[in-house]
Amino acid sequence: MEEKKKAAYRLGVITFVILAVLTVAEYYASVSLAASAVIMFIIAFLKAGVIVQNFMHISRLWREEGH
Amino acid sequence: MSAVTTHHDAHGHEVPYEVQLRSNRLGLWLFCFSEVFLFLALLVARFYLWGNTRPELSQVLGLLTTSILLVSSFFMNRAETAIAHGDRKTFLNGLLITALLGTLFFVGVVVMEWNVFGLELELFGVEWFGHLRPTDGVFGGVFFAMTGMHALHVLSGIVFILIVWANGRKGHFSPERHWGVEACAIYWHYVDVVWVFFYPALYLIGHVA
Repeated sequence: MEEKKKAAYRLGVITFVILAVLTVAEYYASVSLAASAVIMFIIAFLKAGVIVQNFMHISRLWREEGH
Repeated sequence: MSAVTTHHDAHGHEVPYEVQLRSNRLGLWLFCFSEVFLFLALLVARFYLWGNTRPELSQVLGLLTTSILLVSSFFMNRAETAIAHGDRKTFLNGLLITALLGTLFFVGVVVMEWNVFGLELELFGVEWFGHLRPTDGVFGGVFFAMTGMHALHVLSGIVFILIVWANGRKGHFSPERHWGVEACAIYWHYVDVVWVFFYPALYLIGHVA
């Protein structure tokens, strides 16, 4: 139980770090490199994917058990 | 929503909690999906009307509000994880921090970016209050429509969080039964996902007109 709890908290931290890095990357790509809209949308979709998977737990929709 | 609620089907038979939970999840995700069309329409309007241009906005303010929302999502996830493992104190604190950060985001958009009080402040070479008005042509119209619709969802999310927090204080949630918390978390993260697309569309894509 304690291990599961630690793993769940760790996943939250890892997800947050990934999102922070991608946010800084998209800011830098726009301000310093004037990146195209395609690049910006690729980064946005990556961020959205990480949130939907790790924060919104979309996979629970197909699971049989409860929480 | 709470642990004491029992659901019955049309024939009066008790519906097992797991079955009800699956239906609830599907219903909430369908609601989120229906809202995609609303936000997608606003995004399409932005690219149709602005093209490869954008108004001059404070990059620091945009990045700051985005970061605040990102951190709030982290604490919402922490709160949900906490109740799932019976850590009530972290759960309640996580919800309060999320609501506080959500309020900061709301203030950042409405008070600072919209500048509803007409304030001016330049600090560290940064203009902390926006100058765009809703009447400033397509730039103003689209910007206020997108941020306004998003801010409305943030506001309703904060109310949702505070209701869940109040119910949490009364002990309505347990590690086995906390659909109310899960629903609130999904909604809040959804609001974050919308901003993930709105932020680059408003602040980063295109050149300043």
